[in-house]
Amino acid sequence: MRLSLAQRFGAVVLAVVVLAAVWSQLAGFDPVLGVAPQAANLGPSLAHPLGTDHLGREVITRLAAACGAFVFPGLLAVTLCGALAVPLGALAGWAGGSVERFVRAMLGTVASIPPLVLALLLCSAWGNSHTHLALAAAIAYMPTFAEAVFARIATLRQAEFLVAARAYGLSEWRIVWRHLIVAACGPTIARQGLLLFSEYLVLETTLSYLGGFGVQEPMPSWGNMITFEWGRGNLAPLAAPVIALWLTLLALAWLAHGAAEERSHV
Amino acid sequence: MCERLVATGLEVRIGARQVLVNGAIALQPGEVVALVGSSGSGKTLLARSLLGLVDLHPGIVAGEVTLHSAHHPPTTWRAPTTRAAREAAFQPIRRDAVGWLPQDAQQALDPFSTVERQVGRAARGDVDVDALLVRAGFSTPGAVRHRYPHQLSGGMAQRVGIAVALARKTCFFIADEPTTGLDPVVAGQVHEALRALAEAGVGVLWITHDLRAVRGIAHRVIVLDAGHIVERCSPDDLVHERLASDAGRSLLDATRRIAGGVLG
Amino acid sequence: MTDAAASSGAPQALGRALLRVVGFALTIAGAALLLLTLMHAAPGDAIDQLPNGDALRPVLEREWLLDRPLWEQVLAHFSRAAQGDLGVSLVVRPGATVLEVMSAPLLRSATWVAASIALSLAWGATLAAATSRRSRAAGRFVEIASVPPVFLVAHLAVNGLNAGAWRLMQADLITRPSWFALPDEASWLRTTLAIVVLALGSGALSRTHLAVRTALLELRHASFIDAARARGEDTRPLIARHLIAPLAHLTAERVAAHVAGLIILERVLLLNGAGSLFWRASLERDWPLALGLALAAATGVAATRLACDGVRVLADPREREVSG
Repeated sequence: MRLSLAQRFGAVVLAVVVLAAVWSQLAGFDPVLGVAPQAANLGPSLAHPLGTDHLGREVITRLAAACGAFVFPGLLAVTLCGALAVPLGALAGWAGGSVERFVRAMLGTVASIPPLVLALLLCSAWGNSHTHLALAAAIAYMPTFAEAVFARIATLRQAEFLVAARAYGLSEWRIVWRHLIVAACGPTIARQGLLLFSEYLVLETTLSYLGGFGVQEPMPSWGNMITFEWGRGNLAPLAAPVIALWLTLLALAWLAHGAAEERSHV
Repeated sequence: MCERLVATGLEVRIGARQVLVNGAIALQPGEVVALVGSSGSGKTLLARSLLGLVDLHPGIVAGEVTLHSAHHPPTTWRAPTTRAAREAAFQPIRRDAVGWLPQDAQQALDPFSTVERQVGRAARGDVDVDALLVRAGFSTPGAVRHRYPHQLSGGMAQRVGIAVALARKTCFFIADEPTTGLDPVVAGQVHEALRALAEAGVGVLWITHDLRAVRGIAHRVIVLDAGHIVERCSPDDLVHERLASDAGRSLLDATRRIAGGVLG
Repeated sequence: MTDAAASSGAPQALGRALLRVVGFALTIAGAALLLLTLMHAAPGDAIDQLPNGDALRPVLEREWLLDRPLWEQVLAHFSRAAQGDLGVSLVVRPGATVLEVMSAPLLRSATWVAASIALSLAWGATLAAATSRRSRAAGRFVEIASVPPVFLVAHLAVNGLNAGAWRLMQADLITRPSWFALPDEASWLRTTLAIVVLALGSGALSRTHLAVRTALLELRHASFIDAARARGEDTRPLIARHLIAPLAHLTAERVAAHVAGLIILERVLLLNGAGSLFWRASLERDWPLALGLALAAATGVAATRLACDGVRVLADPREREVSG
C-alpha cells in the first residue's frame, strides 16, 4: 500500500497522538498532582519542553494527556458506528429495491439531526461523559458512514466480475463476499472511520472549549486548554493546543483523502 | 460566402510524443473529403485542429489554419499561441464557417434542453424547426420536438445532431464517424444527408472507418496512419484497390476479410 | 430510450411531488421519535436533576408519564407534539410555552444559516472557477485554512480583532470602537463575523471548493460543452446552468453542519439566536425547550433537503423520470 507524502505525514501524526493517549493511561496521569504555583509561566526549557501554564502544570504533559480525552472515546464511536453502518449500507447496496429505499429513508431521518444537537441533548439528559458523547457521535454519523458503504457496494454490484462469478455458481459466493467487503470496501470503511474520528475530535474539543459539557478542568483537553490559558500566560501554553488541534485535523484529513484515492484491484 | 478552409504543416504533441505530423488538408464547398485510417491514427485530432479544439499539452506546436472567404480578408491562425489567443482566433471559424457533428451525438446534446430549443438556439434566429428535422431524416418531427436528449435513441440523437448542424447554415461541415453504432438503415440515411449537404454546396470532411460507404459519397480520400497522412486518392482507387501505401492496403485487407471487399 | 418513450405528464409529476412531501413529514416524525426515545430512555430520575424539580414533581410526573413503560411515554409525548403542543419551558422562561420562547430566535438563526450557506457556496464557487486551471496548490491552501473547527476560527478572529484594536488604541491611532471587547448587545459585526466564520471553518469552504471544482472539471470535459464550444458559443451560461444541481446537492449535504456550527458561534460571539438558546436549555436541563429546538433544527434540515431535491428536479429533466 503506497502512501503519498501527505498521507505519511498524516499517519505519523495519528500514531503520535494514539501513543500519547496510551502513554497517559499507562503512566497514570494525575491532573491535580502537577499544580505547582511556584513554577508558573515558565518558558520552554529542557526540563519543560513547552513550558508551564499559569498554575505551574507542565504543558507538554497536559497536551499529551489531552489525547486520551478523544482517542479512546473516538475509537469507541468509530467501532459502534461502523458495526451498525457497514452491515446496513452493505444490505442496502446489495439488495437494492425496496430494502434499499427503506434503509435509506431510515438513515435520512437520523441524518436530519445535526450531530452537535444530538450530542448536547444526550449529554444533557443522560449526563456528561465520554461514553455518552461517543454514543451520540456514533448515532449522528451513521447515515454518512452507511451511505458511503452503500454507494460503493451499489457500484460494485454491477461490476462485471460479479456477473462472471455468479455464472460460476453459488459455491463462489463466499469468495465474492470476502472480496467485496474487505478488498473493495476496505478503503471506504477506513476513510469513513478516519473522518468520524476527526469529527469526534472536533466535537470533544468544541464542547470542552465552550465549557459546561465535555472535559472539565482539571482534566486536560485541547479545547479547555485554549480557554483556560488565553490572556494569562506565555505564548507556548496558548499556541500548543491550537497547533496540536490544527495539525491533527489536517493530518486526519490528508490520511482520509488518500484512503479513498487508493485504487482497489476491482 | 466561404471559399476554402486550409490547414498546413500541423504538428501536434502530447508531452514529447508526436501524435500528428505534417497534417495538411483543404476543404472546398460542395466537396466531400473522406478521412480514413485505423483507430488512433489521428483522424479526429486532425479534424479538431481545423477548429482549434486541441487542448492537449503542448498541443498544436506548429502549423497554420486559414479560412478564405469571398467578402473578407482571410482569417489565419499560426501556431503556437496561448490558449486565449487560439480561442479568439478560431471564434469566427467556429461560429460562422464550420459545423461539427461529434462521434457520440447523444452526449453532445445539452441534457437540459429540448430538441426544439437546441435546434432553435443553433439557428440563432427564426427557423422552421420541423423542416430542419425533416431534412435530417425524421418523418414525424412533431413527435421529437419536445423530447429531451435522454429520451432519444442513438439514431434519433444522431439525426438531431445533423439538424442542429444544418440549422447553422455553415459552409463547411465536419462529421466524426457519424454512423458508429447505428443500424444499416439509419446509417444509410445519415450518408444520404451528407451527400445532400455537399449537393447544397457545403464542404464536408467525413471521418469514417467504413471504406465501403466511401464510394458514391466522397470525392476525395485521405488515408492517415499513426499521425501521418500516407495517401491521398480517389474513391475509385479504393474500389479498384489501387492503393500505394501499406496502411491503405492493410485497411483494404481488413475490409475484404470482414465484408468481402469494397465492392461487395 | 425507445422511440415510444413518453414524457412525464403533469399528474405523474404532482404525484411524485406529493410523495416527497409525505417523505418529508415521515422524516420529521422519525427524528422526533428518535429524540423522544433517547430523552425518555435516559437513566436516573429526570425530575431530580431539575433545579426546581421538587416544586414541579407532581405536575411533571403526570405529564411525562414517568411510571409508564418507555414506549407509552414516547407515544404520548409524540402525539402531543404532533398536535402542536411542545410543552412549557421549565427553566429558561418558566411558564411560557416552548413555541413562544423559540419562535423569534429561530427566525433569526434561520436567516444566519441561510446567509452562511449562500456565502460558502459563492466563495467556494468563485475560488474554484478562478483556480481550476491552476495547480493544486490553491486547493491545498484552502484546505489548510478551512480545517480548524469553527470555534477555533472564531476564537482566533475575535482575539485577533481585539488585540489589533488594542495595539491601535495604544498607538493612539483610533479611539475605542463600539465593538471593542465585544459587548453584550446586538452587533452587525459579530453577526457578520459569525456568518463568515461559519462559511469557512470546520472544512466548510474546503468542501464547497472541492465539490465545485470537481463539478467544473467534469463539465469542462463534457461532450455537450465541447460541442457548444465548437459552435463558437459562450459556454459560461451553459456551465452555470449545469452547476445548479451540484450546488443544490452540496447545500443539502452541508446544512446540518451549518446548523451545528451556528450553535457554537452564537455562544462564542454572544449572539441571541436559537443556538445559544438551545445551549442554555441543554445546560440548564430545560428539556421541553431543548427538545423543541432540536426538533426545529431537524425540521429545518429536512425542509432544506426537500427544497434542494425540488431544485434538482426542476433543473434536470433526467431527474423527473427517476421513480420514488
